[in-house]
Amino acid sequence: MKQRFISSVQIILQLALTTAGLTGQSYPGKPKIIRCRSLEKETFSCWWKPGSDGGLPTNYTLFYSKDSEEKIYECPDYQASGPNSCYFDKNHTNPWTTYIITVMATNEIGSNSSDPQYVDVTSIVQPDAPVNLSLETKTSASITYLWAKWSPPPLAAVSSNSHVYHYELRLKPEEKEEWETISVGLQTHYKVTGLQAGVKYIVQVRCMLDLGEWSEWSSERNIQIPNGESPPEKPTIIKCRSPEKETFTCWWKPGSDGGHHINHTLLYSKEGEEKVYECPDYKTAGPNSCYFDKKHTSFWTIYNITVRATNEMGSNVSDPHYVDVTYIVQPDPPVNITLELKKSVNRKPYLVLTWSPPPLADVRSGWLTLEYELRLKPEEGEEWETIFVGQQTQCKMFSLNPGKRYIVQIHCKPDHHGSWSEWSPEMYIQIPTDFRVKDMVVWIIVGVLSSLICLIMSWTMILKGYRMMAFILPPVPGPKIKGIDKHLLETGKSEELLSALGCHGFPPTSDCDELLIEYLEVEDSEDQQLMPSHDNPSKNMKMIPKETDSDSGRGSCDSPSLLSEKCREPRALPSALQTQDVRAVQENKGAKRSWETQCIASEQEALLFNNESTKSSTWPAVQLLPNNQLPVFAYHSTVEAHTIMLSTTNVNISSVLVGNEEKHQSRYPVAEAVHDNMEKQREMEYSTTEQTTVQVKQNRHNDKSPFLNPKLMDYVEVHKVRQDEEPTVLLKHKDNNGKTEKYTVPGTSKEYTKVSTVVDHNILVLMPDSRIQHTPVSQEPAMETSQNLQQGQAEKNMSYCLTAPSDCKRETSGSEYMDPSSFMPSFK
Amino acid sequence: MPAYIGDAGDSPAPADPSSSVPGSGLRSAMAPARAAGRAGAVAALALLWLLVCGPGDSGCHLLTVADLFDRVIRHSGRIHSLSTTLYAELEKHFPPRDNELGKPARKCHTSGMLTPNGKEYAQKIPREELTHLILKLLQAWKEPLSHFNQHIEHHQELPDDSLSKAKQISNMVHELKTGVEKVTEKMQSMGIISNSLNGMASSEGTGLSISNEANMMSDSDFIHCFRRDSNKVQSYLKILKCRIMPENSC
Repeated sequence: MKQRFISSVQIILQLALTTAGLTGQSYPGKPKIIRCRSLEKETFSCWWKPGSDGGLPTNYTLFYSKDSEEKIYECPDYQASGPNSCYFDKNHTNPWTTYIITVMATNEIGSNSSDPQYVDVTSIVQPDAPVNLSLETKTSASITYLWAKWSPPPLAAVSSNSHVYHYELRLKPEEKEEWETISVGLQTHYKVTGLQAGVKYIVQVRCMLDLGEWSEWSSERNIQIPNGESPPEKPTIIKCRSPEKETFTCWWKPGSDGGHHINHTLLYSKEGEEKVYECPDYKTAGPNSCYFDKKHTSFWTIYNITVRATNEMGSNVSDPHYVDVTYIVQPDPPVNITLELKKSVNRKPYLVLTWSPPPLADVRSGWLTLEYELRLKPEEGEEWETIFVGQQTQCKMFSLNPGKRYIVQIHCKPDHHGSWSEWSPEMYIQIPTDFRVKDMVVWIIVGVLSSLICLIMSWTMILKGYRMMAFILPPVPGPKIKGIDKHLLETGKSEELLSALGCHGFPPTSDCDELLIEYLEVEDSEDQQLMPSHDNPSKNMKMIPKETDSDSGRGSCDSPSLLSEKCREPRALPSALQTQDVRAVQENKGAKRSWETQCIASEQEALLFNNESTKSSTWPAVQLLPNNQLPVFAYHSTVEAHTIMLSTTNVNISSVLVGNEEKHQSRYPVAEAVHDNMEKQREMEYSTTEQTTVQVKQNRHNDKSPFLNPKLMDYVEVHKVRQDEEPTVLLKHKDNNGKTEKYTVPGTSKEYTKVSTVVDHNILVLMPDSRIQHTPVSQEPAMETSQNLQQGQAEKNMSYCLTAPSDCKRETSGSEYMDPSSFMPSFK
Repeated sequence: MPAYIGDAGDSPAPADPSSSVPGSGLRSAMAPARAAGRAGAVAALALLWLLVCGPGDSGCHLLTVADLFDRVIRHSGRIHSLSTTLYAELEKHFPPRDNELGKPARKCHTSGMLTPNGKEYAQKIPREELTHLILKLLQAWKEPLSHFNQHIEHHQELPDDSLSKAKQISNMVHELKTGVEKVTEKMQSMGIISNSLNGMASSEGTGLSISNEANMMSDSDFIHCFRRDSNKVQSYLKILKCRIMPENSC
């Protein structure tokens, strides 16, 4: 009642005052600058006290000037330091300047200024008090000391944390008045010793920058210096838990011991009972715990539990803890977790999880019903996916990402009450990559690859143009091509072409030689039925036909046999030697006695070449070519232009095959004619020359066969098998060209790969060929001999070498149409 | 009582002829009822009656004791959940003066009943007795719950949600009791338990005296006690079921 009266009086007074103000509004009173203070010498703030407001709203403005200049500034920041203050930030603070500061209060009627305040920043520095003071007692070597720690005062400007503070610490026993001040120095911690045991101390700290004033003292902290005489602190009951809804355990945390051993006693009473019991079992659940077994556990009743800590000096009791066992059931995590991957009907894998309730939980009695929850995530994932399973003990997981490793955990909780168990240990399961996905990838790769191939194919098609076409659809042989070859030869481009095609190291050069021969001969036969070659005795190709002609060697089938007999020993280098022999014969025109020697010589040569065959093949084409070609030209000059053409065709890549084919066709007729002659006449005179022809042809055949085989397959039939001196097979070629070499006589195991002669245009005389490879080698020397008898072996070698490249070119020309691999084996 | 059980298929109104007070309580609770709560309750009631239909019912005779048990257990579980929620709500509106669990004054009106307070005890006592205990507990709550419903309707500050919960609890207890009686009857008919239960029915008078005690409690104490007893009922039902049919998901 009295209060009310007073307040009403106040209101009346105030009313009176305001009415007075209303009648006599005035200037605001003079504000007063209370203090200016810098926390850290870099910024500072000033606070003022407003004067009377004059009955009107008043604005306060702070002006300042610096002693060095005349200009007057206004306060940069009225907000940062609170009401009625001005904050000078770093940019507005100059430690070497004296600030003259005034505050002006303004209202509608007028204004009033404070007295100026002179501020030297360095002299107004006073930091805030240190913070976070913490105290603890420590005991080392049975000496108890106080350990104080604190932090420097926090600053608004985080950047300026490089300040060095000096600290002072003061402390006193709680009940005393005098402080004991300790200079700490620059550290932010201090160890106080020599304190009285069992006394409660109050501690404070303060700080100071290198100049300026000490800060305020920090807030007080109390600490009880323990001694053996004090009772222990009161313990805290942490929690109670029942793992299976039948027993439970409570744990507590002891307080600080008073330097003495403490005894803990757990006491409990049950709801509705007055009696207090002591813990039945301190041991089972470990230290600082109490285990209530089944007998001591009742449900639907509340336990009031306290823990008493006792030492010699006394005891302290914890706060009571109330427990309804029904609601503190926290089971152990489920056990026996198995993860199994199964495949559903649509081959999608799914995960089957099974687990068992924790062993302690007696779920079978119905007393405790558990509900489960599982969570899983990919190993690298962040978020768990949680699935509540209910009371089941198994779960199927679909829609898992294939190829990922999952972590799975399960926990459980009683239904309707209690809390979740810990999560079970992590289980890992690798979900296999979806097969279909794999398939998809494979298909994608296949698709990409095939499209790539197609692209390359089409690209090459475009680039190579007709070549590819020719490769796929071989051109029909036509005479036109010869003309083209001629042109090329004339322009001399053939060389370039050949060299460009470069067949180094490809099929043995000697073979190529034979090919060359063949071409030539075919040309001849086609055009002139052997006659044109007459004129070119020295050259291999020409020579052969010529001999046949000149010697009318149409028929000597025996000559090969003779040759073979004579060169029995050289047979190691079989047909080659024979041809050589034949050549020799050619050279000497029937000087048979020289055969033997020739044979030997040729054999030697052959051997030599064999040895060097590989080398020769690798010899640069360009170097060799000219030599070879020159003679060719020479011969050709004498021969008809047609022949030249043929030879060029041989060299020429593109048209070679066609030429070959034509030649084949034309040549075989020639061969037939020869055969006819042979049969009719059976004269030995011719035989020698004949044989040469045959052999050369045979060689040619050997070489050709690979080329032609794919194209002309069926034009040969075995006409006759002779068993005169040497077993030979007579092959008759049908409409197509003869490709006969490979026929074998059943009775003999020999391979009739060598054409002995060609008769009646469609009959080939075959004889067993020892080794084809030798033939070309030896043939070269033969050719050489035929060309230049005077030349030494070295020269011959050279010439051979020279011929080799040209041959190669021919081969390459052939290879244009044929897969090289198809004839490679035949060469070997 | 047996006559009542036989009438299980009838409307719930005459369901409890032995005690006119609970019946009227139910009616009085329903009369001013808010529509939603009532509809829900009636629906639930009808559902239960459908589920726990009489033996004469052709569509129901396939219901096994295990099925019935599962239903009553689930039902009791729902009651327990509801009471837990309601208890939390009441606590929010009427904060206890001191530590809720530590209130020495709290004494449930059913705490005088001797009930097994642990698994082994619950497993040891005869099935008939356990069944009877369950019924007794439910019976002891029927009338106080009705009173409670009437009482809290005057609490204007309580949200409608809480009121409808209280109503639902009351109805569900009634249903549960009916259900348990059904199971009991079935078990008796199958010879699983003896008929000695009939003799125990006389103890319902004690339920009446207890209910008066219940009216003296504070709301949150009342629900706290009910929550505890609903948990008891559920636990006993589970134990009973697993004792009778240990092979059935026990």
